[in-house]
Amino acid sequence: MSQSLRPYLQAVRSSLTAALCLSNFASQTAERHNVPEVEARTSPEVLLTPLTIARNENERVLIEPSINSIRISIKIKQADEIEHILVHKFTRFLTQRAESFFILRRKPIKVVGYDISFLITNFHTEEMLKHKLVDFIIQFMEEVDKEISEMKLFLNARARFVAESFLTPFD
Amino acid sequence: MSIIQQHTQATLSDAWRTINIDALQEDSSVNFDTSTLHPALPETSEAEVRQLTNQVRQLLRGGDAEGALRGCLESPVYRGRDEAKEAHLQTVIEVLQSIKASDMTPMLQRIYASPGGTECLDVLMKYLYKGMAVTSGGAGKSNPQTPTRMTPQQTGFSQMSGRPGGSSESTGGAMSVLLSWHEKVVDVAGLGCIGRCMTDWRKV
Amino acid sequence: MAAPEVHHLFHNPIADHSFSADRKTLAIARDTTVELYSKVGSAFKLKDELKGHDKTVTSVDIAPNSGRIVSCSQGKSTPVARNRHGVVLDRNALVWEPSPQGYKPTLVLLRINRAATFVRWSPSETKFAVGSGDRLIAVCYFEEENDWWVSKHLKKPIRSTVTTVAWHPNSVLLAAGSTDAHARVFSSFVKGVDSRPEPGVWGERLPFNTVCGEYLNNSAGWVHAVAFSPSGDALAFAAHDSSITVVYPSGPDQPPKAVISINTQLLPFMSLIWNGEAEIVAAGYDCEAFRFKGGLNGWVLSGTLESKGRPGLGEGREESALNMFRQMDLKGKVKDDTQLKTVHQNTITTLRPYETSGGSVRKFTSSGVDGRIVIWHT
Repeated sequence: MSQSLRPYLQAVRSSLTAALCLSNFASQTAERHNVPEVEARTSPEVLLTPLTIARNENERVLIEPSINSIRISIKIKQADEIEHILVHKFTRFLTQRAESFFILRRKPIKVVGYDISFLITNFHTEEMLKHKLVDFIIQFMEEVDKEISEMKLFLNARARFVAESFLTPFD
Repeated sequence: MSIIQQHTQATLSDAWRTINIDALQEDSSVNFDTSTLHPALPETSEAEVRQLTNQVRQLLRGGDAEGALRGCLESPVYRGRDEAKEAHLQTVIEVLQSIKASDMTPMLQRIYASPGGTECLDVLMKYLYKGMAVTSGGAGKSNPQTPTRMTPQQTGFSQMSGRPGGSSESTGGAMSVLLSWHEKVVDVAGLGCIGRCMTDWRKV
Repeated sequence: MAAPEVHHLFHNPIADHSFSADRKTLAIARDTTVELYSKVGSAFKLKDELKGHDKTVTSVDIAPNSGRIVSCSQGKSTPVARNRHGVVLDRNALVWEPSPQGYKPTLVLLRINRAATFVRWSPSETKFAVGSGDRLIAVCYFEEENDWWVSKHLKKPIRSTVTTVAWHPNSVLLAAGSTDAHARVFSSFVKGVDSRPEPGVWGERLPFNTVCGEYLNNSAGWVHAVAFSPSGDALAFAAHDSSITVVYPSGPDQPPKAVISINTQLLPFMSLIWNGEAEIVAAGYDCEAFRFKGGLNGWVLSGTLESKGRPGLGEGREESALNMFRQMDLKGKVKDDTQLKTVHQNTITTLRPYETSGGSVRKFTSSGVDGRIVIWHT
């Protein structure tokens, strides 16, 4: 792990652990409802100050906590256009299968710049181990960079091969 | 087209569909007065911030980094113009950057053990998060990246952006200072400190 | 210190638990039912299920003398019956009367239309208080002529969901915590039910809905737990900013003698109990109980009640080399870290005194989101 990645992930880990203190909270606006307050945004007092953790301009995490749910949005590193395409395709692939990931949100939040969002509610923390949920997010952040750069190498190799076989007849 | 459809299309927009009716009702939970969640806060003007910055710089030049840090953490700008808040943030970051990595933990421990120390570290944590939010996202928010080049594959992805600026190395450097401070503060003041950054309505 | 007695009942969250006075019956709020367990040998066996709520049961309390159980839930106003004036009887709180044929539900006219969050019997057992998401507290008492429980509302100045309530020993004063970050002390004096209370540090004349105190932390977290000290002359509350605040009032309309806040390094506390006047036990998101000591001159966190390095868990466990290499191969890590080092494996929701003698708590119980009930020695 590179030198500056470790404190970044460490900061995300501790912020997530502190934010994942959720309790069962029924809606104050709609009777007989129990909705993630961070999505409904109908009671300002149960929403907490959002936290941003950034490694540089291109990599950051936004944590939006509330009383019964938190939202985590990640901006994945994109150094050039190829990576941008790859990140887009990759997150699209994941979000289309969101139900298999339980905590993955089908769309990233509307704030500009975030590529993928997670939504964790009190029902998730009741069912699953909290530190494992945190581990999952951290592991995702570790893996995704690796995945993207691997895909980029693979793509370049393939492009070279295609170009070669295409140009061979003119040789 | 039926007469009703014509009528509605001609005379009405469907904006009324998106009105939040709850907000119009005074005692609705949407209208919770969040100013009741913190004690009355004094307003800080830009002049006061400038004065403090000068004092802090003097302490820094005198080699008293701990005094400088305490100085700016004991008088955070909770209420004031955005410029004043921004200026104070810059002062805090300046102090943080001038402190050597090996001095961080002992200094934080001394501050934490002193009276009012937990409060100071809570404030420091708030500035660390604000520092990361402003320096990384501020530019992106005010002028959203615009497409610079058209490519044939444009339809597949909507936010085609130009190469992110070459300044990422410099912000990365500032960030890593904040990140290592973050780690040290958590070591000393625990996760409770992060929790208080979230719950506290006195925002920096 | 004796080892805690652990009962793992099931794999669902326990929102609240309550023991009967003889400690043979244990009532548990699990999902939409109240489950009654009785002690058989050293284990708890499911004896009875009280069904009547249609949404998550949030709180349950057994009155020590009468044996009545009161429970409340997030659901509301299922019209189960109408009286002759056409008033809908709410069903989100039920009082269960013990009878030879089992428990019989009695309706409570709560008149709230949001979730009920918390319920506790007053020490006199003639009243109980229900906190609710309707931004009020319903103080309920029995009306003989109509044969049902009616309620009076404590409304002002609550601005958000009431998360917790606690009774003063005199059964008139009621402390409440809310998500508007305030802990408050109210008078719940009901004419004809209560006898006039002695004047004390909280006030002299106490008509219904007198606000005897209102407290806010600087860092303003939602209040999760409140408790009066055994004498009733001090109030402690735990908030989401990982703090515990102890208030010593000095008299009516005067600023309190002392308000002591301890900001801890830990995660927030969900529940707290007093042990005498100089000790508080609190537990919450750290999954373990902590002890605070102090008095009028200041409070300090003195440590955890968890005995470290218990056998059978954590570091002490021997692992075969094969298993270790298999773990490393499968998961790429050396240690199996799915188990926490604490007794509870998830957030502790409620603490309750279990055995008291001479004004101090000898044993207390905790219930957690992990479905465990643990009996601790202080």
